[in-house]
Amino acid sequence: MKKTLSLIMALVMLLSMASIPAFAEEEGWITLRVEAYDRSIAGFNVEDCWQLKYAQENFGNPNKIKLQFVPVPRWTEGDVLTTQLGGGTAPDICMTYNGSLVNEYITYEGLWQLDDLLDQYGSNIKAFLGEDLLKFGQQDNDGDGEKEQWFLPARRLNVANVGNFIRKDWLEKLEMEEPTDIESFTAYLRAAKEANLGGERTIPMQFDLYESDPLYNVVRFMDAFIDFSQVTEEDWFAYAGLHEMLPGSKEGYRWLNTLFHEGLLYENFDINDDTATDSALLNGYFGFFSMQPDQPWRTDKNYQKEMEAAVEGAWWTSVNPFKNESLGKTLHDVYAANGLSIILPKPEGAKEEVAIAAIKYIDWMCQPENMFAMQNGVEGINYLAKTEDGIPCQVQSADNVPDENKMHAGDICFISNGLYYGSDEKNSAALALAFDEKYAEEVTASYVDAYIDAWTQVSFSIPIQASTDYGAMVKSKQGEFLSKVVTCAPEEFDATYDAAIQATMNTGASEIIEEQLAAYKAGEFRGTFPGAAQ
Amino acid sequence: MTDLRRPRRGTLNSIWQNWRLYVMLLLPVAFYIIFCYKPMLGVGIAFTKYNPVKGMWASKWVGLDNFKFVMKMPDFPVALGNTLLLNFMGLIAGFPVPIILAILLNELRSTRVKKLSQTLLYLPHFLSWVIIGGMVLQIFAPTTGVVNATLLKWGWIDENIPFLTEGWPWRITYTLVGVWQSMGWGTILYLSAITGINMELFEAAKIDGANKLQQIWHVTLPGIRSTIVVLLILNVGQMMNISFDRPYIMGNTRVQNYCDVLSTFVYRAGITNAKFDRATAIGLFQSVVGLIMVGTANFVTKRLGEDGIW
Repeated sequence: MKKTLSLIMALVMLLSMASIPAFAEEEGWITLRVEAYDRSIAGFNVEDCWQLKYAQENFGNPNKIKLQFVPVPRWTEGDVLTTQLGGGTAPDICMTYNGSLVNEYITYEGLWQLDDLLDQYGSNIKAFLGEDLLKFGQQDNDGDGEKEQWFLPARRLNVANVGNFIRKDWLEKLEMEEPTDIESFTAYLRAAKEANLGGERTIPMQFDLYESDPLYNVVRFMDAFIDFSQVTEEDWFAYAGLHEMLPGSKEGYRWLNTLFHEGLLYENFDINDDTATDSALLNGYFGFFSMQPDQPWRTDKNYQKEMEAAVEGAWWTSVNPFKNESLGKTLHDVYAANGLSIILPKPEGAKEEVAIAAIKYIDWMCQPENMFAMQNGVEGINYLAKTEDGIPCQVQSADNVPDENKMHAGDICFISNGLYYGSDEKNSAALALAFDEKYAEEVTASYVDAYIDAWTQVSFSIPIQASTDYGAMVKSKQGEFLSKVVTCAPEEFDATYDAAIQATMNTGASEIIEEQLAAYKAGEFRGTFPGAAQ
Repeated sequence: MTDLRRPRRGTLNSIWQNWRLYVMLLLPVAFYIIFCYKPMLGVGIAFTKYNPVKGMWASKWVGLDNFKFVMKMPDFPVALGNTLLLNFMGLIAGFPVPIILAILLNELRSTRVKKLSQTLLYLPHFLSWVIIGGMVLQIFAPTTGVVNATLLKWGWIDENIPFLTEGWPWRITYTLVGVWQSMGWGTILYLSAITGINMELFEAAKIDGANKLQQIWHVTLPGIRSTIVVLLILNVGQMMNISFDRPYIMGNTRVQNYCDVLSTFVYRAGITNAKFDRATAIGLFQSVVGLIMVGTANFVTKRLGEDGIW
């Protein structure tokens, strides 16, 4: 017995020593590790997906590069990346929405500078992204007055951001028109509650408090209350990300407070986790919710379809009620043209050949035929036909695709945020085709709404150091702010609001405002001011 | 214990004779050196403007700047106060429970029942806080939580009991859930201490006419007194330390002012944006205060005539 045991032990040790180097260093091969968001889509294995196999076969094998996808949970990507970068274990290509983190690592000199690499190996990347977009990834880090390329911004084809959805079937039952301003919208909420249209657990209006950006979901309603007669362009940029401090916003939050006490809001918006929200959404308890313009109809998670299965006749439609009276417009913010920030980490001892392989891989991805395959999959499996223009149609939802062919266009083909077919016309024509035919009209209408009176989100072309220092603290205070002003007793609203704003200011918001103002005055800003005279 | 001591010149000899034991000891010693002592060098990060790419030695020395920066933040005193309060409540409510439980378990006649109840009591210890957090939400959430929903339906209450939505009720929920989670596990040490008590003492007490309660009071409790004291000192030393997952998961934005503790504060102020130097500064501060507390507790117990931990 002892002998067998020791034999096994020895074998195990031998194997474990022998196997690792043998695998990694086949002659002349390089391993390229690429971060890949994992959204826990049932049956979709990021580490061994169809897109990986396709890229390995068509890019990896000819170039002697072994591709590896490193799954990172989508909703904690920033934290995971922070840890990986700090420990020097980050994949060779990473992507994140956390701009402050990227800025930090630029100043740490922890990223590959991309100018020369792009010149030598990135002609297709340059062509796909274009000069203007590349500028988003440029920063002057060595202080010579010239900006260097530190990251690649993903190209966002469709910049629409806001989708507001209302229950069409409820409107019909209530014999009401689609609300067009705050007043008629409020009337709808009250009527829906009174008639208990979603059953005992009716929640006329839902919004979420996301910890990473607490006001993300409500600022789109609240902007309707800003009094633009009192807001200058300077204010707009200085207070970017802090709209709750702009004149008029207070009345917006007072409105939410009223709704809360009338029982018209999702009571546990600041307590529950997303799963509770999801199940309430699928069970048809909500009368209104607000997310991305295509949210209810996405093929990877189709809220509309699932809700219909639970509640007969339930139907989401896009609505446009948040009219700013001081402008007479229903404002919608749209994204800037950049998406994710794509970085090549450069830890101690990083090899240039890996960075070259990384740029080559992204360059390969930017070639139209490769991007088409990486975004659309296989005809006959992921989509059933093509239009005259060569745009895939009859796109299959995830549950109709066998596991080995499941894919995620945006996460794996990260350089493009949105499906790319070569021209703006084709891209927007393709938008509706990417959804179940039954809902195509709703999706199109929602996108039209999302671009009405659109203004582009504000960002700055120099790093705002105060955001890095205090950003997370300020966000947490904003969460507290939202929770407090919505739930406090109506008679305490004014005091609560003022105190919460003061607390945000004290936590670092005042430093951020100061620095953003300076950046604005220096001309280092992007985005638009909706109050500008036209 | 003195009889185990050998003459000094025999030390080498004794090592030689018991070399197998010393080889076995190597592993835990290596563990402590690699995972506990070596990382301690990293506290130097707290005094630098740390650049994780270049490492601690290449980073700029800034003295106490990180400490000043962090302690000036308005959230810092709140987090510090909450940490102490929640830990104190945990200690008051949680410390006696395992002792009582261990004594009760010890008195159970049927070994089967004893084994079964022990296993059931241990179970929550193995649940991750993520799962417990989900359960707490299901049970205590306003309106939709089982407790509130039932009581509202029966008409026993008109308004939600704010288990998770107001300061003090949240603190109490937090504490009691913690007690529930850890009480079973905490009994292990006490049970083994009770097993170590000489059975003759119980027999003698019985002969003297002591009933069950008197036996517990005069034999069991004094028998495990030193264990209690050691654990108490160790617990006091943990007053400044608080895990991240429990307050983070059980807390919510509505009670932010009550659930924000040092660990969640460090996470926001340091870790989210790769400000490891600030995170380390707070960590070092916690350790220093913790050390002072253990020292004080130890000193006091020694003065009271008990054996301390050193």
